Amino acid sequence: MTMNAALEGKVYPDATFTVEPDRVKLFRAALGEEWDIVPPTFATAAEFAAFPFIVGDAELGLHFARVVHAEQEYEWHRPFRLGEALTVRSRIASIRQKAGNGFLTIETELLDRDGELVVLARATMIERGA
Amino acid sequence: MPELRRRFEDLFVGYEIPAHAAHILRQQIKTYADASGDQNPLHQDDDFARAVGFPGIIAHGMLTMGELAHCLTDWLGDPAALVRLKVQFRAPVFVDDSIVAEGRVKSLDPKARTAVLDVWVSVERDGITEYPIRKGEAVVGFAEP
Repeated sequence: MTMNAALEGKVYPDATFTVEPDRVKLFRAALGEEWDIVPPTFATAAEFAAFPFIVGDAELGLHFARVVHAEQEYEWHRPFRLGEALTVRSRIASIRQKAGNGFLTIETELLDRDGELVVLARATMIERGA
Repeated sequence: MPELRRRFEDLFVGYEIPAHAAHILRQQIKTYADASGDQNPLHQDDDFARAVGFPGIIAHGMLTMGELAHCLTDWLGDPAALVRLKVQFRAPVFVDDSIVAEGRVKSLDPKARTAVLDVWVSVERDGITEYPIRKGEAVVGFAEP
């Protein structure tokens, strides 16, 4: 079973994610960050808000137990603001098969309440061949 | 913690940013799982990790990328100056590894006041250096002086 390549371009339902101060504090602790900022890669926590849609997408058929993270890219348009609510919108940018492995690229937009783009995230995962 | 806010005028091609080292502990990986929401058992369950071919749990790639971004923001002195970061995960990071994040300015655009950096994360084990992140690229941008 390989991923369904016909799903390229599929947009998942919007999720919401709040930049909660306690969660930011925990994230800083995990990175040994002593500076009182929202680390730019806190975007990862927001990306995960939409992850259940992708992992649970029966049409896509991703075998999560065989997945490793291959590439990650972020474009930051402005820093996060503590307490702000973001809309998390993920879409399948590409699905490829190469040498028996599947490559899935997910693009995720983090949008603020005015609909302005805060962060664009691009994650590529490898589903290793069985 | 940053010492000062970096200026575009400080930079030149070949400029090396201060290295940032982190010793990766099991507890830190667990904290990262809770903070990021990535509860993949590969990062928490040694038996699961062994079943998929690793000697034990590995750190999240995003934890390694987070330490690389930490290196950049400490140097920049302004988290808003980090505009873009792109990496490939090339090698696993294990519990008790000491990773080092580094970077070097590759090109400068004085008009846009941006710089492109080569960035990487290395780990040395038994005299052998591996690169969990080898050829990453960062773009940093600076406000008008």
